[in-house]
Amino acid sequence: MSRSITVDEVAAAPDSGGTDYINATKGVWSWLTTVDHKRIGIMYLVSVLTAFALGGFFALLLRLELLTPKHTIMSADTYNQAFTLHGVVMVFLFIIPSIPGALGNFFLPIMIGAKDVAFPRLNLLSLYLYWIGAIFALSSILSSGLDTGWTFYVPYSSTTNTAVVNVTLGAFVLGFSSILTGLNFIVTLHKLRAPGVGWFKMPLFLWGLYATSIVQILATPVLGITLLLLVFERTLHIGIFDPALGGDPVLFQHFFWFYSHPAVYIMILPGMGIISELIAVHAHRKVFGYKAIAFSSVAIALVGFLVWGHHMFVAGQSELASTIFSFLTFLVAIPSGVKVFNWIGTLWGGSISFKAPMLFALSFLFLFTIGGLTGVFLGMLSVDMHLHDTYFVVAHFHYVMMGGTVTAFVGGLHHWWPKMTGRMYSEKLAVLSCALYFIGFNATFFTQFLMGSRGMPRRYYNYLDQFQPLHAFSTFGSWILGAAFLVMLYNLLNSLKNGERAPKNPWGGLSLEWETASPPVTENFVHVPHVEHGPYDYAATVARRAS
Amino acid sequence: MSDHAQHGPGGHGKDHVPHILPLSTYFKTWGALMVLTVITVGASYLNFGPGNLVLAMLIATAKAATVALVFMHLYYDHKFHGVIFVSSLVFLGIFIAFTMFDTETRGRAEAMEGEHPANIKDPFGGTASEAAAKAKLKPAAAPAHH
Amino acid sequence: MSAPAEIVEGQPSAERGSPQFEVAHHFDSADTQFDAGRMGVWLFLVTEILLFGGLFCTFAVFRSWYFEDFVEAHHHLNKVMGGANTLVLIGSSLTMALAVRAAQMTDKKQTTRMLVITLLCAATFLVVKYFEYSAKFEHGLLPGAYFHGEGFQGTHAGVFFAIYFLMTGVHGLHVLIGMGLITWMLIRNLRGDFSSRYYAPVENVGLYWHLVDLVWIYLFPLLYLVG
Repeated sequence: MSRSITVDEVAAAPDSGGTDYINATKGVWSWLTTVDHKRIGIMYLVSVLTAFALGGFFALLLRLELLTPKHTIMSADTYNQAFTLHGVVMVFLFIIPSIPGALGNFFLPIMIGAKDVAFPRLNLLSLYLYWIGAIFALSSILSSGLDTGWTFYVPYSSTTNTAVVNVTLGAFVLGFSSILTGLNFIVTLHKLRAPGVGWFKMPLFLWGLYATSIVQILATPVLGITLLLLVFERTLHIGIFDPALGGDPVLFQHFFWFYSHPAVYIMILPGMGIISELIAVHAHRKVFGYKAIAFSSVAIALVGFLVWGHHMFVAGQSELASTIFSFLTFLVAIPSGVKVFNWIGTLWGGSISFKAPMLFALSFLFLFTIGGLTGVFLGMLSVDMHLHDTYFVVAHFHYVMMGGTVTAFVGGLHHWWPKMTGRMYSEKLAVLSCALYFIGFNATFFTQFLMGSRGMPRRYYNYLDQFQPLHAFSTFGSWILGAAFLVMLYNLLNSLKNGERAPKNPWGGLSLEWETASPPVTENFVHVPHVEHGPYDYAATVARRAS
Repeated sequence: MSDHAQHGPGGHGKDHVPHILPLSTYFKTWGALMVLTVITVGASYLNFGPGNLVLAMLIATAKAATVALVFMHLYYDHKFHGVIFVSSLVFLGIFIAFTMFDTETRGRAEAMEGEHPANIKDPFGGTASEAAAKAKLKPAAAPAHH
Repeated sequence: MSAPAEIVEGQPSAERGSPQFEVAHHFDSADTQFDAGRMGVWLFLVTEILLFGGLFCTFAVFRSWYFEDFVEAHHHLNKVMGGANTLVLIGSSLTMALAVRAAQMTDKKQTTRMLVITLLCAATFLVVKYFEYSAKFEHGLLPGAYFHGEGFQGTHAGVFFAIYFLMTGVHGLHVLIGMGLITWMLIRNLRGDFSSRYYAPVENVGLYWHLVDLVWIYLFPLLYLVG
């Protein structure tokens, strides 16, 4: 790409001062009308964390209800609504926008030495669409609720009396928001890299975001049309999904999973990107197999489009299709395995500092590996016949989505918190929250593997007495998990007030965000940076400093 | 935003220079599209069996390609924009093809199950007919355990 | 996004063609900004193609299942009206392309003229569509549960008409949105926003409009001609 800028000095941002992005202008209005990607990122962060708290609240209620085999605290109908809202909020309002919206928006332009994303106003629009979608979706709580599960499967969703239309329209709008973010990121990465930032000199987080954006662009519109069809099915009885009128309910599942399976990679790929950063920076070592990690992100994104039918093995899908989908599903394990081995290779021989972000990254490696491997079990036709719609599936996707993405997200949040806020949190409390998180998570969800493999079906309100010990254990685990997040929240919020001022580069990172002030100035850098070293050239940098 | 003057237009290199096509290109393209439309309507009155669909899709694709290459300037544009466009068609193809792997091949196993009903009481023991079927498929297979 | 005109270093902005346009602060050149916009629009068009793609997939699945019924039902669509609309839309694509060309050449009058013709074509398209729809309503050729057309051999014509209304309806909605965008371009053009230095919005709306045409190029034969 030809560029006309020839500023060749390395950015030398001021250490502090009143010009950082937080203090640049004052007042709520200045935030609501901002086009600064960092402020938009912060607003996303607050929004997705609020959604996470809400979804987590529902999760704790569910676990409490499941403490005993019969009625504990809520009726069966309320239970159905609670698990639906838990799913909808966590998937559409939290996990999909979480990393791209919050950390991606904040760091993507900085990491390539740009002043902003390519379309700053579109970026703000995407945040507003997120809010509008969220209001639509959550309005269902105030009206008749929703009890279809987050997957909105027909025929139930086209006949239930709950607020399907509100939530599907909300998800439709949220899809727009997601598309606009993805579009913005792709164009930004193509057009706004500073001089010297070649494709293979980008931090790996950005490769994760790039792959995510591809999926957002290609898959989300199909969700849009699916949800529109569902709305028409409900309101106008068009019959596309209604067998009585010649339609096919299984077709809905194809449409839904053509989006929602790739959406799983929308959720996990940015998380994998974060892990690459955390491991390299806190092991102070050049990433092992940069290109392998970068391309494996894109490979996961693309292969992810070929496997959606593995959600439909028992739905009446043809045996031929199931066989093809099952085979292709195994392919996903290859790029995922490439990543895990490369991360371990990066740790090998590094000078590892076991700070909180690194502890989260190590937790990720452990949890994601379990989540990923149990996915292979489920992709196998014969095994899935037994495990389908049991707690084994619930445990599997929580190990991937929570053990994977959420772990990476909170790890990244701790890693970049000093940069975003200019404050250091208490390391002790952070380590404590990580330990509680790891213990609580495994207590909650490992038991669910056991229950599922013994035949405990998911989404059931009542269950056989023999499952109670495991259910109770899982519920106790969820309390530890809740405590972990309370400690984390206290620690981070407290740092805003009482934390030490963060230095420019607390972890000794080499990517561009560590070269600007903490918190960064409004347009990220005082001068357009000219990058000479890669984001992970630790050995070379040490040598240069020594000489 | 506005206080960032060091990259004003002076420092921004040259202006964007548009790539202008001659008028005749546009009119020829339009003419071709009109002719193709007439052909495809005309062809629909003839009966080629399944060939009708193939022909209609070929003509539509020719028209679509013409619009994309000339009116949408894809021919003169960055190659990457072409890649973006084509990738959408590839993934659409995957979507339709993989969905039809299912919808076109349903109900095959039911017929086989009907021929070889499973013995519920002894599902792994095999019935006489199943054993016969197995023997036919795999003559060297080990005898079933009892 | 454009920085205010004061910062142009001493040059009277009127000489620069489009007084409103300066390269946005975060781009290094006008070319980069222009390309970024185009790339963004192309990515957006991808999402449009996949959105319509869902409907094409539905069509493919059910046409294969209920082939006879689809062939029978498609004879109830009006080939003449559909064909006329195809020609109208292709014409509008031409005028839209010419509007972009005129904007590239800083020919404000011609741009206006071409945009107005495009708008008229779009309106014509919708009027024809209106007559088609009323005829279908009259004969009970409606989607799914509401289908009560008479004299049909097959039992699945309702599926065909569901898909017909969905496809043409979503497409018609895009025509309507396109008319809004073209009107906006018309206003901006009359305001004197565009020149050979800056015509990206016209070009990008043009891309969108051509896509609307593209979708119709497939819809027309599938629904009206081969069924």
